[in-house]
Amino acid sequence: MNKIILLLTAALCAAIIFLVPPIKGLGDLAKIIFFHVPTAWVAVLAFFTSAFYAAKFLRTRDFAFDVLSERAARLGFGFVLLSTISGAIFSKLTWGAYWNWDPRQTTIFVLILIYGAYLTLRAAVPDEKIRAKVSAVYSLLSVLTVPFLVFILPRLYFSLHPSPVLNAAGRVDMDSIVLIVLLAALVDATLIFFRLLRR
Amino acid sequence: MKLSDSRFKQGVAIVRKDFVIGLRRRAAFAAMMMFALTAVASLSLSTGGAFVEPRFLAALLWVVIFFAVSAGIAGTFDDEAQAGTLPTLKLYASAQAVLFGKMLGVLLSLIALATFILPTFLILFDVAVANVPLLLATILLGLIGLAAAGTLTAALTTSATVKGGLFPILLFPITLPIFLPAIALTETAFTGAAFAESSLIVTAAFDAILITASSILYDYL
Repeated sequence: MNKIILLLTAALCAAIIFLVPPIKGLGDLAKIIFFHVPTAWVAVLAFFTSAFYAAKFLRTRDFAFDVLSERAARLGFGFVLLSTISGAIFSKLTWGAYWNWDPRQTTIFVLILIYGAYLTLRAAVPDEKIRAKVSAVYSLLSVLTVPFLVFILPRLYFSLHPSPVLNAAGRVDMDSIVLIVLLAALVDATLIFFRLLRR
Repeated sequence: MKLSDSRFKQGVAIVRKDFVIGLRRRAAFAAMMMFALTAVASLSLSTGGAFVEPRFLAALLWVVIFFAVSAGIAGTFDDEAQAGTLPTLKLYASAQAVLFGKMLGVLLSLIALATFILPTFLILFDVAVANVPLLLATILLGLIGLAAAGTLTAALTTSATVKGGLFPILLFPITLPIFLPAIALTETAFTGAAFAESSLIVTAAFDAILITASSILYDYL
């Protein structure tokens, strides 16, 4: 499995550097988008994975699930930071500012706050059993904000963020090579996440 | 309180118990009030009568409310935990009655806080409110959400070693879906511009979600 992931990652790096045409007017640094989108995806995936294992822990009281829930959150925290930084760099290139509280930026920042709060809570509770219980409850409580962040927040504030790959028109506005590389990068990031989770 | 009492009666009995104890030890409530007063006074002093935009005023009001609430209700379960009375309380009343009793008590103290801090804020910043019913409805909906999320968060932090900063850190992300529409609605109430009723409905719906989720999750604690 490790070899497949290494090979795929190396192939992706080569493809991004040599195969993908430079983005018009933005230069080569804009290719950071191939790093930004997958890390953002894993940050969100890790959030739901952590909540899923939290729910499993509360039902079964099996501490193995608590360990997985915590590990998913720690990985998610790492990925969300990478995604935020790479996103800010891309934002500087395209919009001229690192940060402007665009709805997507707000969402990712709230994710940082939730991960941070969860990990701080874990650090602050010394008793193992209580720590597992309260952090699982907090993990599930924080999932409640997701529908708000995804559906309601973008309506409150205007967004400059590019539409998702599959936009409202149901049409893919991308070169096929760019799309293939991007999808492969998403698969690669997902594999890396689950490999680290199940180590 | 008797074992045969209904959950509602048990909940009310817990509110009454906390109120009586609260009268004896007013510290937490006084701290919340004074915190809010200090925050409003420092903001008003530092802006020194300069014109502050309605949007900014609305944000300031909610930031003050949020941190005053954090200071006031973080210790909702601490007294019980320190005295070791929480298990006994759960023997007498159902866990849900304990949760809703505490939640109701928290909400009442938050309403008392708002009754005091809102007029103070409006006077010190010289705000003319164009739509009073909207302002009151927004504040009430916001406080209900803060009380629901805050009570469960207080239950989570009882056994934490770091107390001071932890509570607002945990509460902020969960109450953000209430916080942002509340600021927008408060701004509208100040300016009197037309407002989307859907914002009020969304806030109320999120209150209901928070209450339900707290109720379900408290059983696992």
